[in-house]
Amino acid sequence: MIKQQNQMHATIKERPVSTLDQKPARAEGRKDPWSQMLEKVGKSQDREAYHALFQHFGPQIKYYAMANGLSSHAEELVQEVFVSIWRRSCLYDWRKAAASTWIFTIARNQRIDMLRKMRRLSAEMPVETEDLWQIPGDNEDEPVTSLHRLMSERRIRESLSLLPEEQTTVIAKVYMENKSHQMVANELNIPLGTVKSRVRLALNKLKVILQDQNV
Amino acid sequence: MTQHHPDSLTLMEFSAGNLTEPHALCIRLHLDQCSHCRSRVDMLDSLGAVMMEQQPQVTVSGSMFDSILSRIDSEPAVQDLSGMRKNRVGPLEKLLGTDLNALPWKRQLGDLSVLDISDRFPGQSEQVVLQKLTAGGKALAHTHRGEETTIVLQGAFSDKKGVFNQWDFVVLNQQDEHKPVALEGDDCITLSVLSAPVRLTGTFTRMLNPFIR
Ligand SMILES: [Zn+2]
Repeated sequence: MIKQQNQMHATIKERPVSTLDQKPARAEGRKDPWSQMLEKVGKSQDREAYHALFQHFGPQIKYYAMANGLSSHAEELVQEVFVSIWRRSCLYDWRKAAASTWIFTIARNQRIDMLRKMRRLSAEMPVETEDLWQIPGDNEDEPVTSLHRLMSERRIRESLSLLPEEQTTVIAKVYMENKSHQMVANELNIPLGTVKSRVRLALNKLKVILQDQNV
Repeated sequence: MTQHHPDSLTLMEFSAGNLTEPHALCIRLHLDQCSHCRSRVDMLDSLGAVMMEQQPQVTVSGSMFDSILSRIDSEPAVQDLSGMRKNRVGPLEKLLGTDLNALPWKRQLGDLSVLDISDRFPGQSEQVVLQKLTAGGKALAHTHRGEETTIVLQGAFSDKKGVFNQWDFVVLNQQDEHKPVALEGDDCITLSVLSAPVRLTGTFTRMLNPFIR
């Protein structure tokens, strides 16, 4: 574990933040531009930064809604997500999540919430969407974990392009079309075991699997 | 410290938002107590973000940003959300409305009590059951006809696979015959989501099986 931490520190030092448009100040080295903008929205209700976020993430969220069967409500979902981003931005902490990861979880929660409302389940359910799906522990400091979080997104982006298409296809169906592993197996007409092994191979390569102790 | 965690595939289904609500509740309760799995889910959320970023581009209607701004302007100023971080009632308390031990438990054979809470999840087909095994008590040997996801909410139990402590997570299926025994000290309370009813393997008749109606 300690060895791994050292490696991560080393990685940060030697790898310049090459994907950024702007040259970040030294102290801001680990912040990507979207996270900086989201922080500005949270700290000073900066509407220019908010607009930039909208232009970047709005189309992504619209596609996300369309891909998982909410075509006729796609723009409605984008609106809900952005209103939620505005309201919650004061809770955003760049050390704990990249803006894109933070926004993805809001999009996911709002999608679940919208489907729930369509099925008129919210009124009958004592627990809210966030009670089930929001990761707890907003206020705790887990420095090593934070570092993991920041590194992971960059690493995932880099290694995803190296995965065979059959693996990325399965992952895309799970995340974008919201299909269970079983549904993906049915659709691709392959055994469930094959779907699972493709996901495992991919997660291994993305180093998402830390320790699968039960397997 | 929990020893038994959900596997990465289940966490991925959680991160993608694809689990049923009872299953999501089990994961959420585990995440509440397990920083190891929280960081795994964080990484999976990042995977979701990168997948979302790499999809085809679509255009968003030009007037939408203005509608968003007018919605924001018509709402009261951003409230202080810091209260959201503290003193939140946990999902289980919200769901049950009372303390675990104060529930209207239904006594079964011997040391086991159960409470079916499936009706708290309208629109879900799974059976959601709380089970309580009195401290030191034994459950009957049984197998599982479908898949059973269980999280320990209080106390601990052991079976031939090991000891399952509070917040441990375990999935059992057809192959797993087990005979759980609650550890001494505290009643063991678990939350289980069953995709199909359990089947007794002993000599008892089906009428004694709490899960067959
Ligand atoms: Zn865990």
